[in-house]
Amino acid sequence: METLDQIGYGFAVALAPENLLFVFIGVLAGTVIGMLPGLGPMSAIALMIPIAFGMDPTTAIIMLAGVYYGAVFGGSTSSILLNAPGISGTVATSFDGYPMARQGKAGKALAIAAIASFAGGTVGVVLLMLIAPWLAKFAVSFGPADYFSLMILGLTAVVSLGGKNLTKGLIAAVVGVVISLVGIDSQTATMRFTFGVPELFEGVQFLIVALGVFALAEVFAMLARRGSGGGDGAITSLRLNRREVRTLSAPTARGSLLGFFVGVLPGAGATIASFMAYSTEKRLARDGATFGRGNIKGVAAPESANNAAAVGSFVPLLTLGVPGSGTTAILLGALLVLGVQPGPLMLSERPDVFWGVVASMYVGNLVLLVLNLPLIPLFAKVLKTPRAVLLPLVVVFCMVGVYGLSFTTFDLWLLLGFGVLGYVMRQNGFPAAPLILGLILGGLMEKSMRQALQISDGAWSTFLTSPFSVALLALAVLAPVGPLLARLRRGPAAPSDASGPEAGDGAPDGGPGGRPDAGRPESSGNSGGPAGGGEHTTAEGR
Amino acid sequence: MFRTLAARLSAPVSVGASLVLLATGCGSGGGAGDSDGGAWAPEKPIEMVAPAATGGGWDTLARTSSRVLEKNDLVDQPIQVVNKPGGGGAVGWAYVAGAAEPTRLFVTSPPITLVPLTSESGHSHEDFTPISRLMTEYMVYVVPADSPLKSMGDLVDKLKEDPSSLSVAGGSAPGSMDHVAFAGAMNAAGIDPKGLKYVPYDGGGEALTQTVGGHVDASVIGASEAAGLVESGDLRALAVSAPERTDTLPEVPTLREEGVDYTYDLWRGVMGPGDMTDAQVAYYEKAYKRMLEQKQWKSEAKKLGWETSYMDSDEFGSFLDKSSEDAEKLLGEIGLQKGQG
Repeated sequence: METLDQIGYGFAVALAPENLLFVFIGVLAGTVIGMLPGLGPMSAIALMIPIAFGMDPTTAIIMLAGVYYGAVFGGSTSSILLNAPGISGTVATSFDGYPMARQGKAGKALAIAAIASFAGGTVGVVLLMLIAPWLAKFAVSFGPADYFSLMILGLTAVVSLGGKNLTKGLIAAVVGVVISLVGIDSQTATMRFTFGVPELFEGVQFLIVALGVFALAEVFAMLARRGSGGGDGAITSLRLNRREVRTLSAPTARGSLLGFFVGVLPGAGATIASFMAYSTEKRLARDGATFGRGNIKGVAAPESANNAAAVGSFVPLLTLGVPGSGTTAILLGALLVLGVQPGPLMLSERPDVFWGVVASMYVGNLVLLVLNLPLIPLFAKVLKTPRAVLLPLVVVFCMVGVYGLSFTTFDLWLLLGFGVLGYVMRQNGFPAAPLILGLILGGLMEKSMRQALQISDGAWSTFLTSPFSVALLALAVLAPVGPLLARLRRGPAAPSDASGPEAGDGAPDGGPGGRPDAGRPESSGNSGGPAGGGEHTTAEGR
Repeated sequence: MFRTLAARLSAPVSVGASLVLLATGCGSGGGAGDSDGGAWAPEKPIEMVAPAATGGGWDTLARTSSRVLEKNDLVDQPIQVVNKPGGGGAVGWAYVAGAAEPTRLFVTSPPITLVPLTSESGHSHEDFTPISRLMTEYMVYVVPADSPLKSMGDLVDKLKEDPSSLSVAGGSAPGSMDHVAFAGAMNAAGIDPKGLKYVPYDGGGEALTQTVGGHVDASVIGASEAAGLVESGDLRALAVSAPERTDTLPEVPTLREEGVDYTYDLWRGVMGPGDMTDAQVAYYEKAYKRMLEQKQWKSEAKKLGWETSYMDSDEFGSFLDKSSEDAEKLLGEIGLQKGQG
């Protein structure tokens, strides 16, 4: 009862005209900043902090939370439109969002992203309100062994992201893991693969790789095609028909729940959540084969997951005073300067801030939807930009984003290098998604494995004594079985179990469907084109 | 006026800052070179380098101090905060050492004496001019609330039996602050620091959640970071590394009270490039000394859990020499020093 009063009080705080205005400003600013590749929530919040300093602490954090959601959504926009993920959490969105845009369905993809983000955020906030104290226990219950097993489970997604050729997918994933090893080894402070270059001491920034192998490689590919191919950039209706809504509701719900709980774990976060949601849906879907070619479920799942994870990452911050991600670390700094000490005592000492923030998350999500739906046609016009203008702009944005991370030209060369790598990979049928996955998960996996072994004095049984770890490892073993069996049934020569984001460059709607049993009608309405069996026309014109 | 405003608005945005930098950097020729004697004042905007990304301790110090200096007109030029992350500070240090501009300073803390010992940073504290040490924080040694270890004495006894019987977490890499604060204290208590089991995490936050969850037996963390969880009863604090009880955790005894003769300062200060003139050093020294007296500084520092511990350039210099020697000795005993196995 008391809690209800407090929630009501929270909404009263969040809906005060001044706070409403600032949540609006925050969301708008966040969206615009987040749309620029390379400028994610961290830069967006850092940019807004000086403005926040002059404000009442509650208003300030409400605005900053709005910036956070806005930036997460803005990142999806550039992922979908330009294949240039602004932040790591939206990489998975580009797998199907960009093909949709190429098929002239940019408006629909953005609308799905906005709605799924809203749903994910809302589910997250409701869970946060209901079970925050219990969640704090969940957040601390994961030890290094459990993190390791979670990463293993995440890596099994390679099987579904791997594209036509599983071997090439695995090779790409291994390269990703190898890249994640560059830098100072966190357990012994040994330099690995740095060649004495100080810029490499702290490893290769994820964003450089992502922008290189996705955005820059895409630019190279377009140049090589000399402007042929690609969607016409027409903006179809934003509206989803009833069947699409029905198709999307389950993936969105699952993505939201998965995203939230992964987001609660410190250190895991939106990126891992969105990848896991994507590969889960791909496995569950009857039309899983069309993932990677503009399946609407492939947009909804990661988008709901990354927004739910953004909310989830507030749990350790608000209940333990511990930032679970780089972004919440900056928020924590801002809160401290504003005189608010988040932590276990925040709920009793500053209920106005606590519930004000929680309620404003809800309001922020709503504002995000209301603000962005009408703006989508405007965003999608980007695709109408003549290619001669658009391509240089994408290159400029990538460079600005990367340079803004570190201010070294060294990173720009790295960006170019990864762009070339990405281009060579796609020319030879190596999917880029597993590389990114290996890069994201590799570092965390290695770190938690070594922490776990250090604590257990080197006993490997530590991975089998924690119930979480056992459950996750079991899932990791079982998860790839289905897709692998399907592969075997089709025989080794069988094609196209989705081919990652680079699939279907300029392919006419609906490439080949892949699995014979995938020919269900539901896939036709949304992924475009009938999901016919066989493997005729993959437009291999690239 | 416009330039000041522009600098202030764009300072937090990395991109913006660099653009302003380009615009202003080409203009004036810098104010270096004046021989000693007369007073010196910067002729172009001051660059305050945080050798880390936004949001961390160095960044917070750079931004907070710059804001207070500017607001109270303690410097004659606007200050731009520039983030140069990488190499545990090495990239930022190389940036300052490379230009030798008297208007390019950086914020610093124990890593300036530690990183050069364990990695190929290329620069050490001796390559820079100490300007002022500003304030300090202390470390706290914590265990989960349900731990059988009730006091620092229990922890020491247990580790005396077997140095590797407890896993102790910290938020920084082996050979850096948290590890040194832990190994140094145990060394002082007569335990072989080489046998200790230190588990490094990415940042104090991760180490804290792991401790609350009971995945490690204890952790060594900045006192202000752990204060919330200690007050709420999720963690038990055994001791702080301060010479006297702290404002942050007044109920927690010091290591000395618990019979371990050791203190560890998580100090923070400001340094400049190697070849600064006395007049230049004096200019900044005065500005920072006055900054510490400002009401605004005092209230911000209080919120952040910083305790003033001012040292002028000379004192700071000899302090750095001493810390570096101590660290070298300790890391040598742990076996972490550069070139060792």
